[in-house]
Amino acid sequence: MAAIDGATGERLNYADLRARVDRFADRLRQRTKPLIFLLARNTAEGLAAYLSVLNAGGVVALIDADLAPSLLDRLVAAYQPDWIAGHAQPPSPDGYGEAGALDSLSLLRRRHAPEAAPIHPDLAVLLATSGSTGDPKFVRLSHRNLQANAEAIAQYLALTPDDRPITTLPFAYSYGLSVINSHLEAGATLLLTDNGVMQRSFWDLLAAEHATSLAGVPYTYQMLQRLRFDERDLPCLRTLTQAGGALDVTLTKTFADMAAARNWRFYVMYGQTEATARIAYVPPDRLAAKIGSIGIAIPGGTLSLDPESQELIYEGRNVMLGYAEGRADLARGDELGGRLRTGDLAAVDGDGFFRITGRLKRFVKLFGLRINLDQLERDLAEMGDRPVACIGDDSRIRVLVEGTSGPPSGMDRLVASRYRLHASAFAIDTVASLPRLSSGKVDYLALGARMR
Amino acid sequence: MNYMPPISLHDRLQAVFADALQIAAAQVTDDLAYRGIPEWNSVAHMALIAAIEDQFDIMIETDDVIDMSSFAKAKTIVENYVAP
Repeated sequence: MAAIDGATGERLNYADLRARVDRFADRLRQRTKPLIFLLARNTAEGLAAYLSVLNAGGVVALIDADLAPSLLDRLVAAYQPDWIAGHAQPPSPDGYGEAGALDSLSLLRRRHAPEAAPIHPDLAVLLATSGSTGDPKFVRLSHRNLQANAEAIAQYLALTPDDRPITTLPFAYSYGLSVINSHLEAGATLLLTDNGVMQRSFWDLLAAEHATSLAGVPYTYQMLQRLRFDERDLPCLRTLTQAGGALDVTLTKTFADMAAARNWRFYVMYGQTEATARIAYVPPDRLAAKIGSIGIAIPGGTLSLDPESQELIYEGRNVMLGYAEGRADLARGDELGGRLRTGDLAAVDGDGFFRITGRLKRFVKLFGLRINLDQLERDLAEMGDRPVACIGDDSRIRVLVEGTSGPPSGMDRLVASRYRLHASAFAIDTVASLPRLSSGKVDYLALGARMR
Repeated sequence: MNYMPPISLHDRLQAVFADALQIAAAQVTDDLAYRGIPEWNSVAHMALIAAIEDQFDIMIETDDVIDMSSFAKAKTIVENYVAP
């Protein structure tokens, strides 16, 4: 069996899936290499649509299915996709018309061919760098990138056709996509659902279809702990994986102990969308001794440190071709040559295990979403004439507005809606003056120390 | 002296929902569903459960956490905990 759709109950074996993929691909083929925006959900049809674009020799941009229409319009304007496919009929952007369907998926087609150079032959998938914020910066991935990462993951997780992962992450998120690709590579059975661990339907599917593994970002593990995961009857569960930001040490220990007691394999991992998904992992039998480490490079990859800056460098066949900001960039080929500067600072121990010690770039990962603090500052500065500085870590963002009156009204709503953040994940305060360097730039080190 | 009616469980819970989900109280109706609006996502759900536990001084069982799929369901569940 290739996939079981939790919402419809549909069961597809690999031959069924192939037949549907072929049928969808026939619909999407055109004279030039097409770009398809797929507003992807974890469904059998979403899966078939994704694979059919690759099969048709096209490029699929996986877009968060819950993206606000105004943000989708922005992406459409930047990339001029030939097709837009979605589970719900998306409102037609200017220049698009209804063009039938892929079974229950609706299709929109661009009326006029985009005025841009042809798409590079190696390009296969576009993934957003910052999840649901609608930032048009995408990562360009090739077939070779996807294949290399799927093979490496299937190898170190020792995946077999008996594996039955239940989806816990969005299709359009690199970690969620890596679960799908690596298990298809192994001939396993995907249990597809958009429901999450806070919903009974999720647990019903997990039990009824004998799920053997689940993947989580740090927040997933916080929820599992609240749900007393250790007291659940989970006779088929064998594997837990974690990525999408650092899991705090206490929670890592809790789940490491739980896994040891119940004979599960618990993989703490590290990766970036820029490397398709996965870069490093801690072998489960070393986890107890290596808490806080990101582990070793995945099979076929190499980790090293820049001798000057201590920046973590990853080399492997899963390193992206490069970034794109719009349609014209899709003509570009490989710009990185398999070498990725991660932007993370790291140290390596005597056993060759790496540990992240800091970050070169100013971004945080909240709930698996990457948020650029400089971008957030620019967004908030547009609200008024008062200087704004943002600092934070992977648990919380702090916004500091210079001045003596309270923060501009509506700022909290802007942060909450544009970045989809709950009020508990950020705080907005005022400070009489922001500490500054002699250059006039905000002194983030001093600000961080003051706020601690 | 004017008679002040006791604040109903409905009203108390509605206020907790509005506060935790950061929406207007008028939006908190019986058919308001988990993931039915962008504001009621998994992060807000954890905050909501914590706020309900605080406000009503109860400990909500795991099964009830995953059954709390709408405002109507939440009322039924919380009633069971606070029933005299």
